[in-house]
Amino acid sequence: MKPKTIFILAAILSGAFAWPQARTADETKIVVMNPRGIQPEIRKIPMAPRPSTLDGKTVYIVDTKYPNTKPFVEELHAALKAKYPKTTWILRDKIAGYMDDDPELWKEIKEKGACAIVLLGH
Amino acid sequence: MGVPTVPMITQRFKELVTTISYKKGIPNMRITYTPHPITDRPAELCRKYIAGNDPLTGKPMLEEIYEGLTKPLSAEDSRAGFLKREPRPRLLPPDTPEKLQEYFHEQGFTDGNPVILPTEEKVAQMLKATSRKPDEWVGQMRPSPPHEAWYYTVEMVAVNAVMAGAKPEYFPIILALASKGVTSLFSSTSSFARMMVVNGPVVKEIGMNTGIGALGPFNRANSTIGRCWTLISRNLGGSGKPGETYLGSQGNPLNYGNLCFPETEEGLPPGWNPLHVQKGFKKSDSVVSIFSGWSINDIAWYSPLPQHEVIRGWLEHFFSFGTSQATLILDPIVAADLASNGFATKEAFARWLAENTGTPGWLYWSQHPKEMELAQKGVEPYAGWLKQGKGAVVPVSRYNRKGYPTRNQAFMASKDTNEPTTSIEIVVTGGGTNTFWSGGDFGYVGSASVDQWR
Repeated sequence: MKPKTIFILAAILSGAFAWPQARTADETKIVVMNPRGIQPEIRKIPMAPRPSTLDGKTVYIVDTKYPNTKPFVEELHAALKAKYPKTTWILRDKIAGYMDDDPELWKEIKEKGACAIVLLGH
Repeated sequence: MGVPTVPMITQRFKELVTTISYKKGIPNMRITYTPHPITDRPAELCRKYIAGNDPLTGKPMLEEIYEGLTKPLSAEDSRAGFLKREPRPRLLPPDTPEKLQEYFHEQGFTDGNPVILPTEEKVAQMLKATSRKPDEWVGQMRPSPPHEAWYYTVEMVAVNAVMAGAKPEYFPIILALASKGVTSLFSSTSSFARMMVVNGPVVKEIGMNTGIGALGPFNRANSTIGRCWTLISRNLGGSGKPGETYLGSQGNPLNYGNLCFPETEEGLPPGWNPLHVQKGFKKSDSVVSIFSGWSINDIAWYSPLPQHEVIRGWLEHFFSFGTSQATLILDPIVAADLASNGFATKEAFARWLAENTGTPGWLYWSQHPKEMELAQKGVEPYAGWLKQGKGAVVPVSRYNRKGYPTRNQAFMASKDTNEPTTSIEIVVTGGGTNTFWSGGDFGYVGSASVDQWR
């Protein structure tokens, strides 16, 4: 066998052995780090006990004042008054924009109301 | 609140409200859904909706509300304690690189593009670029104020920096950015964008592009630092899950890179201070500054008018969701033109613009119903303005801070207090190949020292 032929055969053979090695390299498992941050604990809040009826009770309807939703809020107020006349339905606007808190209103509802409906967005 | 409550929300936001209820600790909250949308619906249609059923539960809407307020609680409803959260192992289970790439996409760890897998070795290299300890807390971030905040350490930020393709020398900028706790994926139905401007010696140290194409995809530092903000927002700030922690109706393509660029400080005309100096830092400080907005216009236009008149005209008629704020990104030769026309400082130009821009009539009257009422009653100056026609420009600037309603601080996350006298910010960047400029509805949020994170 000529040296050139031997060289070609050797190259083919080495390639043949190298090929499975290349394939197994892709199968190598690696360990990577978790990119996520730390989520806070969630403390479960027990829901407020429900009254058995709303007759004789006061329920606040709180409008969070999302832009251009007033017609729905007013229609809801009217419909609840008509369907449940023994309940006092009070419609109130929350202060400022729809993303602002209103602790004074929440205090008033707790003192004077039995329940609340809070609405609406979009 | 402490009293039985039924929230009402439109059906489009079921995922959001379910997730928020859980995270707020009331997983069984009794919610009544309405058809979507409710905005701008006439009273007759609203009446029809209310007389009908909750579109998700199929129950009559009014009866469902009544039941939500009166139905006795279950044992689970009354239980206190803690709710389950996913565990967070420091290392993920071993797998092949190809499968890990897929896993990262499936878990929502990416921006949809391939990432560099964060091996311990690569993260260790990143950590060498700061003197801070890996377990040191950097900050907290949330998608928007109603959402919970997630917390993160230096090492967690480094993991995301590796994923973005950042070099270790960029890491102090990324840490400074992360320390502000401002998500780049703000959760609002309007699709927010963010911008970050880098100033000071660090710009040259890490080779950021301040020249031709500074806003484009031509420089590793500009690109990967900006990209990293979005990865941080998703992975460390709990943001960017459409429907739950991201609600932008159309999304915003600027979120891929978050308009990350340095100011061309060497291109500032004499007397024009770099942004970080305007915000109270020394010129020798390295600083990253954050802006929030929605959109940007690239103004490539030849005009016989001087630049200040072109910019004034654009600002006057510019309209977007953020109508009361603007940021101008000027090419250095535009800044030079302005300076040669007598604007000795950025602030002087911003004041001139605020004093000389009006508001298009259609916009002013649609946002000022009380003034419209006064105008119709003949009260001046409103009556005189209206007399010019509803479409005529009203001489009230949207960019003058004086007398303008204060923006909701919570909405802007960690807004700093050094407010300028106008809501117009000016930054200079670019290669000076033409007298072009960009402008958008971005407002300044805050700045952070990069040096503190070296």
